Amino acid sequence: MAIVEASASPALLEEAGQGRVRGWLRHLELAFPIGLLTLIIGACFFWPMIAAVPQPVGGDVLESNLPAFSPGHLLGTDPNGNDVFSRILYGGRSSLVVGVAVNVLGLLVGGTLGAVSAYAGGKIDAVIMRLLDVLIAFPSLVLTLAVAQSLGPSQLNTIFALAFFSVPAFARVSRAATLRLREQPFMMAAQLCGTSTWRMLFRHIAPNITPQLVTFSMLGMGIIIVIEGALSFLGLGIPPPAPSWGNMISQGQQALSATPMLVVWPCVVLFLTVLAFNLLGETLRGRWSGR
Amino acid sequence: MTVTDPALGDARETAAPGVATRILRSPSLRLIVRRLLAAIPIIIGVSLLTFIVLSLIPGNAAQLLLGPEATPEQVEAMTRQMGLDQPPVQRYLDWLGGALTGDLGTSLVSQQPVTSELGVRLGVTGELVGLAFLMSLGFAIPVALLAAYRPNRLFDRVSMLVSITGLAVANYVIALLLVLVFAVQFTFFPAIGYVPLSQGLGENLRSMLLPAVSIAFPLFCFYTRFLRGDLVDQLQGEDYITTARAKGIGPWQVLLRHAFRNSSFGLLTVVGLNLGTLIGATVIIEQIFALPGIGQLMLQAINTRDFVVVQACVVVFAVVAVLANLVTDLLYAVLDPRIRYGNR
Repeated sequence: MAIVEASASPALLEEAGQGRVRGWLRHLELAFPIGLLTLIIGACFFWPMIAAVPQPVGGDVLESNLPAFSPGHLLGTDPNGNDVFSRILYGGRSSLVVGVAVNVLGLLVGGTLGAVSAYAGGKIDAVIMRLLDVLIAFPSLVLTLAVAQSLGPSQLNTIFALAFFSVPAFARVSRAATLRLREQPFMMAAQLCGTSTWRMLFRHIAPNITPQLVTFSMLGMGIIIVIEGALSFLGLGIPPPAPSWGNMISQGQQALSATPMLVVWPCVVLFLTVLAFNLLGETLRGRWSGR
Repeated sequence: MTVTDPALGDARETAAPGVATRILRSPSLRLIVRRLLAAIPIIIGVSLLTFIVLSLIPGNAAQLLLGPEATPEQVEAMTRQMGLDQPPVQRYLDWLGGALTGDLGTSLVSQQPVTSELGVRLGVTGELVGLAFLMSLGFAIPVALLAAYRPNRLFDRVSMLVSITGLAVANYVIALLLVLVFAVQFTFFPAIGYVPLSQGLGENLRSMLLPAVSIAFPLFCFYTRFLRGDLVDQLQGEDYITTARAKGIGPWQVLLRHAFRNSSFGLLTVVGLNLGTLIGATVIIEQIFALPGIGQLMLQAINTRDFVVVQACVVVFAVVAVLANLVTDLLYAVLDPRIRYGNR
């Protein structure tokens, strides 16, 4: 960060050293979560393509409950003889796909609703916000449970059910950001030029609120992955035998005292993934708010 | 429902105060009445939404109750007996009428009145949530104060690291790990089950401790981060802190009497909002620890298509969330005379 002149005094040099440490910390703030996420996403999506990973389902019952580091099974096998490592990778795929899909839905639908609501103001704003108020006051998990129950447990339905969580939240963020934007002189200038409403929304508002929405979606990823796990844990998310971190934890819980590691492994990857998204979201938020 | 939403604020201000409020001049009473009136459409909206969602769910409670071997005639007779053959609008209005008089209907499955069942279970969930809040705030406030006393020093750094890490741990993960360590490895606590208060306070607390900790830990992390951040902002940026320091007031006094008093508003808001969202946590935690609370009741009811019970649970949750917001706003008025007497 700091450029140190050759003739700098020792005190200044010391300060520069501190600045360098701080600079490294600043890099690490971003590099650590991004690295961790790259590792997790790479492992879940690309590792099974490169290396010979056993199938996550249809294991041999004769090979059930093998301990970790057994030949061919890095983390051992579950009571059905399925490879735990492979189930974690494939389970991660479904968790991440659900997380991304729900957040993209929230960002697009909620983001648009919030921006339109704030830009239009008046009655449209009041109606949209009242509807969202009801959705927010509604215990969201109940709604997700009911939707998951009515549409039947499947990955696509889990995404729809969880979208009920993300849309109002994104709409709130987007509305607040747009309201702040409306005060800016360039908005007034654009309006005075006779810019059409659609052009205002997509060319002037959207690019300016997108960074905030993307930052929010990082924190949203963590939340959605946890809730997806909860739904699968309650048997209303990804239906077994297809793996997901939530239903792995739920299955492992039944034999918690005999084979605790079956619960611990998915818990650990769940934790690491959520941690990475949270750290990334926090860092980005800090940068955008001009810390 | 928070004061941060400008649209809601406008709506509340433009709404006519009504005759009753004009008679009662007391500002706090006016505040209560105004907030209660604003809450009614939200609760009705929530109940209507639940009703619509539940009527969209395929599968008939009568069919589920009678089993797969029931004849179509039997199912039809049962449907009529349950009142499920009425048009949905009629059913909703009937339900609403009953709910207004305190009768939340009869369970489709157990044929018991829902209101009495809810009363018992509300106690269990209430104890769980109450304990969780006590624990999380009881630890978060001192830790945040200590961290903010010397920002960026060791204690601050460690507590912030712990809290951001802790925020990434899902409550069901904590619950299972706690069971694994304290109930399976060392049998300090019962793994599951609920001991009612009538069998002694000690036993009751022993059965509630692990579930309450599972809910309290993420909250503790959240509150610690939130309060510490707010305190540091106050201490660094506010003129009244400079004034207090210039008067020669000690650092702890400044922190406790000046900064914390102001930061408590933000904390209060967050706690009030959390109370509404805690419901999701109780559903899972009660399921893991087999606690007979309202969350467990609702999950069972969803699985058996017992819509009357689901509807009642959702309304109870919505009322709790709305009341929590109301109490939060009233506490503002207690803490800050400007809100009590001013026109905001």
